[in-house]
Amino acid sequence: MLGAQLALNAVALGAAYALVAIGFVLVLNATTAVNFAHGESVVAGGFAAVAMTAALAMLLPAGSAIPGIVLLPGVLVLTALLGLAIAALAYLPIRNRPPVSVFVTTIAFGIIVTNGLNAAFGAAPRAAPALLGTGTIDFLGVTASRQSLAIIATAALLIGALAFVLQRTQLGRQFRACAQDPEMARALGIRLTRITLLAFALGTAFAGAAGLLLAHQFFVTPSDGAGLILKAYIAVVIGGWGSLRGATIGAMLIAVFEVGVASVSSQPLAEGLLYVAVLLVLLVRPDGIFGEPQRLRA
Amino acid sequence: MSPDRSPLTRQSLPLIAGGGALAIYALFFASSYDQRILTLSGIYVIMVLGYQFIFGHAGALSLAQGAFFGVGAYVTGILASQFGTGFLATFPLSIAGASLLALIVAVPVLRLASHYFALATLALSQLLLLIAVNWEPVTGGANGLPGVPPITIGDWQVTRGTQLLLFVWGLAVVAMLIARWQRNPLRTAMFTVMRDTPLAAPAFGIDPGLLRLRAFMLSAAFGGAAGALFVHTNRVVSPEVLGFGIMITCLTMTVVGGRLRILGAVIGALLLTHLPEWFRGLDEYYLVAVGVLLLVMVVFAPDGLASFVKPFRAVRAPIGTPTRPGTAGRTPPVAPGLPALEISGLSKRYGGIQALDEVGLSIGAGEIVGMIGPNGAGKTTLANIITGIARADSGAIRSAGLDLATATPTAIARGGIARTFQTPQLPDGLTVRDVIETAAANAGEAARDRARAAGAITSCDLTGIADVRSGTLPHGLRRRVEIARALAGGPHLLVLDEPAAGLAAAEQAEIADILRTIAAAGPAILVIDHNLEFLRPLATRLACLDAGRLIADGPRDDVLADTAVRAAYFGLVTAAGGAA
Amino acid sequence: MSALPRILIVASALLATLTASAAAEPLRIPVLVPITGFLALEGTSQRNGAELALRGSGIAFDVDDTATSPEIAVNAFERALTSGRNREDVIAVVAPMLGTQMLALVPLADEFSVPMITVSGTARITELGSPNVFRFFPGDVVVKAAHARYAVEERGAKRPAVIFQTTAYGQSGRAELDRNLAALGRPAVFAEGLDVSVKDMLPVLSKVRDSGADALLLHLHSGPTALIVRQARAMGLDIPIIAGSAMHQPETAALLTPAELAGVCAESGASPISETDPATRAFAGAYRAAFDREPDAFALGQYDGVQMLRAAIRAGANSAADIRAYLAARRYRGLAMTYASDGKGNMAHSAVILCYSGDSRVPAIVKRYENLTGIL
Repeated sequence: MLGAQLALNAVALGAAYALVAIGFVLVLNATTAVNFAHGESVVAGGFAAVAMTAALAMLLPAGSAIPGIVLLPGVLVLTALLGLAIAALAYLPIRNRPPVSVFVTTIAFGIIVTNGLNAAFGAAPRAAPALLGTGTIDFLGVTASRQSLAIIATAALLIGALAFVLQRTQLGRQFRACAQDPEMARALGIRLTRITLLAFALGTAFAGAAGLLLAHQFFVTPSDGAGLILKAYIAVVIGGWGSLRGATIGAMLIAVFEVGVASVSSQPLAEGLLYVAVLLVLLVRPDGIFGEPQRLRA
Repeated sequence: MSPDRSPLTRQSLPLIAGGGALAIYALFFASSYDQRILTLSGIYVIMVLGYQFIFGHAGALSLAQGAFFGVGAYVTGILASQFGTGFLATFPLSIAGASLLALIVAVPVLRLASHYFALATLALSQLLLLIAVNWEPVTGGANGLPGVPPITIGDWQVTRGTQLLLFVWGLAVVAMLIARWQRNPLRTAMFTVMRDTPLAAPAFGIDPGLLRLRAFMLSAAFGGAAGALFVHTNRVVSPEVLGFGIMITCLTMTVVGGRLRILGAVIGALLLTHLPEWFRGLDEYYLVAVGVLLLVMVVFAPDGLASFVKPFRAVRAPIGTPTRPGTAGRTPPVAPGLPALEISGLSKRYGGIQALDEVGLSIGAGEIVGMIGPNGAGKTTLANIITGIARADSGAIRSAGLDLATATPTAIARGGIARTFQTPQLPDGLTVRDVIETAAANAGEAARDRARAAGAITSCDLTGIADVRSGTLPHGLRRRVEIARALAGGPHLLVLDEPAAGLAAAEQAEIADILRTIAAAGPAILVIDHNLEFLRPLATRLACLDAGRLIADGPRDDVLADTAVRAAYFGLVTAAGGAA
Repeated sequence: MSALPRILIVASALLATLTASAAAEPLRIPVLVPITGFLALEGTSQRNGAELALRGSGIAFDVDDTATSPEIAVNAFERALTSGRNREDVIAVVAPMLGTQMLALVPLADEFSVPMITVSGTARITELGSPNVFRFFPGDVVVKAAHARYAVEERGAKRPAVIFQTTAYGQSGRAELDRNLAALGRPAVFAEGLDVSVKDMLPVLSKVRDSGADALLLHLHSGPTALIVRQARAMGLDIPIIAGSAMHQPETAALLTPAELAGVCAESGASPISETDPATRAFAGAYRAAFDREPDAFALGQYDGVQMLRAAIRAGANSAADIRAYLAARRYRGLAMTYASDGKGNMAHSAVILCYSGDSRVPAIVKRYENLTGIL
């Protein structure tokens, strides 16, 4: 059934976008910093997978398939390190300065990453191995690629874990305290710098995971970052700035337009309708679909 | 304080020398390539100057500057390449087109806050990009339209090289002059208030919506102009002019150079057009180097490189200038005998809570009325409704003939009702005098404004600290400045929300003295507080709110002795098992 | 620190001009191609091809990035020609394949009177009446004729579907494809444009299937081409796929398994890794050794173009005007094909169709369309 197939594809794509968006939201929730290098972090994750595959291929007998799951820990570690670098170089030195400065430092960091990858790997699109093997599974008249299912499962797992951490654990409370009132948080003994570094490392690691998953299904090129940060930004704002649930829904919305609406109209038209929908949502709900967790009080 | 403009400081001399050297180099020693890069810099200066209005001064994260640039570019590009229309027609049309777009989207979009505004402007830009790429018959699609002629004015064709360089920079200088004119000290202070203390903006008599609209349209006009010049310089128009890259470039230039100053636009534009070109020798790593340098620059100068240069005007010009558009004159003080405030049957419900329940109150000129009641009684709600920040569900509320139920907060403030906030809303960067003069400023009454401002400064005993930046003041003085600010508009009714909260007893007494002096001069004062010790020597009349209802209103001592009031405050258990 | 930024700018600019003084220099052929951005893959092929041809020639060639916008391309051109060096030394320019950039460069090339050689396929660049454009890759007019004719005449397509990219390359090619299909009496039953960033191809492919198309013609860039092929096969869409030149690129084939590639065909000016003649194989070997990559038709086309320049120089040309005259009038037997100008600067008039058998990632040439324009 085409409808069900499209729905599955939309969910898989939305899950991937959600994975990108939540890393972005995590950093936002802990530091109020808008990390414009986040899209490039996804790309870096993809290329980390590509590089590790090439390295492993030299050690293993020719023709052996390397399942992506083996690469996942390495990708997470490498991108977490990248996150720490972003925090240390592009955020911490100016954390008490106007937030717009952070826009530009993270944009600059993104430029460094994109062009560094371009120079190191070349501009050709590259593919990473599938997480749990290629092939498809047929059920209920729908052909699901194993990678699509892997994406959905991974995203659900990570989003659920993050939601749990943010809402139910002390660490999550500390994240939110740091974002809402850094001075008070510090006064309460929360180590701001440590929390910031953790948030960036974790958020960028999520991006890396998304990059690994996307790189098999959809390939990865050094210049993919800009499109991804655009989508993440749209998802995060339209859902309500800082809302995890909102970002996930926003990501799904984008995927629904990209897959669902495009199937009944055309791709350019679907993209246009997405932007029109965004404008209409903002007209009716100026604080995003779910509104913001906290508001200014008179 | 002397309002005279002093001559340019010594610091600007090296800058002028540098600019002069650059100009001489550009005209006589530069290659065609160097001149081209400088021409592009000039175009970006215009775009960044425009962006500073909405992004720097109004403090709104607009991502539409690229869209305005692109619209200006396409209007000129299409008309010039397809119809041969001359510059004198296409240039104003480009500006008009961009401004029209800004006007159309302004109403729904400008009221959005920060990132929502950014998203709306981003969606708009992406939509325009889609149209440009896919509407092939009109825009040429992704290929664009080649054959955009050079700038033609009558018989004169502005040739590539020196002529184009001079032309563009000539227009850039015009843009700088316009920017300077628009950013007079008063308007700059108004923007500072709007950015740093948005809640208090109406209390200053500032209409934030109008200010933002003006800034948005100026940014669009400048952007459109820059776009028009851009396509004449590149001789093609293609969808890249609407791409996100231009927006990022604009944002980066503004932040690196400085968001608020004209010098910042010049530095940012010059530096960021030249950097990628300077690093070309590094082959595929050249953009990495640009990124690194960008990062370093912003980390070391988060407020922009222009912040290292002291402002050119050593001494500020007076704020009270003759014209301030968009303001109506303030009404003169109400004649004695007319009630300064008249409320009847006022009710307000928030969800399940009845915040105000059939409240009625009347205050005459010169009266000092204390509004008391326990926390959560509805006092601040009442203050918000009086000043127009909230709207009552039912009831009438008038002040000296003005119907407060339907007027906007700004209109109410200008109508002679001033208020102070529980937390003093003073922009850190403005001096005490700036704050009070901005609040006093009015249309066409510069001298009287200044007199009022001076009066307010004296009444609140702030003469000694008039030129201190309010961000450095201790709490007690901030409260005094807050009162002076409210007084500066010449109100006939002052609504003060806990004006002495957090002050020591001696400071509280000072505030009380000041308020008594003020009331003696005419205005009525409604003091909302639950600190009875503060109110006792100050107010002759008290009204008490409890759970939204007015349970007492009369002479001070009578109210204080009232059993219902005591029960509300001290939780006395009556014999009938009443109030808790 | 006060006036430092301004002074720095002035000082640096002055230094730049003073130090780059014109010494006696050899002939120069600047190579202006995209090395960053979404066309960097093809731009790098251009650069490599030019570089291979210029090795040991004594001709100075500086590579400058044109990125993705016309603005940067014009900057690069002006810099190459006017920045501190002697303009007279430049006898030709290797120009970027991006259509919009070429359109912006043409008036400048005319003003400076310098011939540009490129492998851009965008039809428009030779329609502007400039004597300074020479393209060494068959333009859309040629390749799309081959594309359409192969689909209709050799594969019997009666109801073709077209998917193109919403870029300059894509839109230009689509126009020509439509024209050719119509001329063959087989207009497209379905056509849709995709943005480069589109990832999920199911929507468009399901519409292709619903349209009852019996052949799928693609005109997309590298990544999207591979995505379409893979996702089409995965959903069981078994109609013949005849793709654009992106499919011939080894980097594109590397993204798919040989099984996924089985039966997929592509048009191109050439396919150096498929040829068996010794000269082309030598070229491929040298290319591999120099750049650690497989060569593609863009590299070969650029190589041939620069080699023709060298032939001109050997024949005595030592100025831009000489080069232009030579390119316009003479014929050159390159590795990919024989080149000759049709009066407008189109040098390449032949195309090939190559297909993947399913055994390897090296395609075989199944049909050659020689001299499609009748010029040679």
